[in-house]
Amino acid sequence: MRVFLDSDVVISSLLSNKGAAYILFHTPEITRFISTISFNELRVVCKRLDIQSGLLETLIQKKCSKVIIHEQSVKSTFLKFVSDPNDAHIVAGAAAAKATHLISYNLKHFKKNKIKDDLDMLLMTPAMFLQYLRSN
Amino acid sequence: MFNTIDTTKVYTPEQVADLLQLSKNTVYELISRGEIMAKKIGKLYRIPSTSLSFFFTGLDYDLYQADIEDKKPLPVVQEAINQVRAT
Repeated sequence: MRVFLDSDVVISSLLSNKGAAYILFHTPEITRFISTISFNELRVVCKRLDIQSGLLETLIQKKCSKVIIHEQSVKSTFLKFVSDPNDAHIVAGAAAAKATHLISYNLKHFKKNKIKDDLDMLLMTPAMFLQYLRSN
Repeated sequence: MFNTIDTTKVYTPEQVADLLQLSKNTVYELISRGEIMAKKIGKLYRIPSTSLSFFFTGLDYDLYQADIEDKKPLPVVQEAINQVRAT
């Protein structure tokens, strides 16, 4: 199962080892993705939140794959899936990763039904996704 | 709709039947199948609210707790992400 992780999920997994995001990162039966754009974003966010950059690098290296996306394609194709244009790169990354699930804590910023209909991708929080895994 | 679970609260099977809009017999059946965890005290069952977590929140209790754990610092995290995305 291929899942694309929004940056709030990655940061949450670095902040606590008791949260759902951390469990998601340590669940073996899934393949996790972020994008090159979100990786650059995560580096800056870590700096702002005083999270050691080494922790991020190690986590992504060990537990995640990176898909390459370009700014131009994000704006032209993926704006219709988000209410905030600045979040479009997350959907672009998920589409490039051919993800079945987009995992985020920011569900309100994504157009859930359009993502499901056009990209055949489900939007969930980490805990909702882990519950889904348990029921299948 | 329940947003939080009062972990000190316990219910009778009758109360659970009422809450979940099930028959009393169905609740006893769910208890005997282990789908609802209950403690038998003498001849009576008592059901802790944590056993009903899924019905209240859509999440098993451990996942509900894990969700709460992540949500504590989330406003600060999302604010930082929004600022970076806006630049």
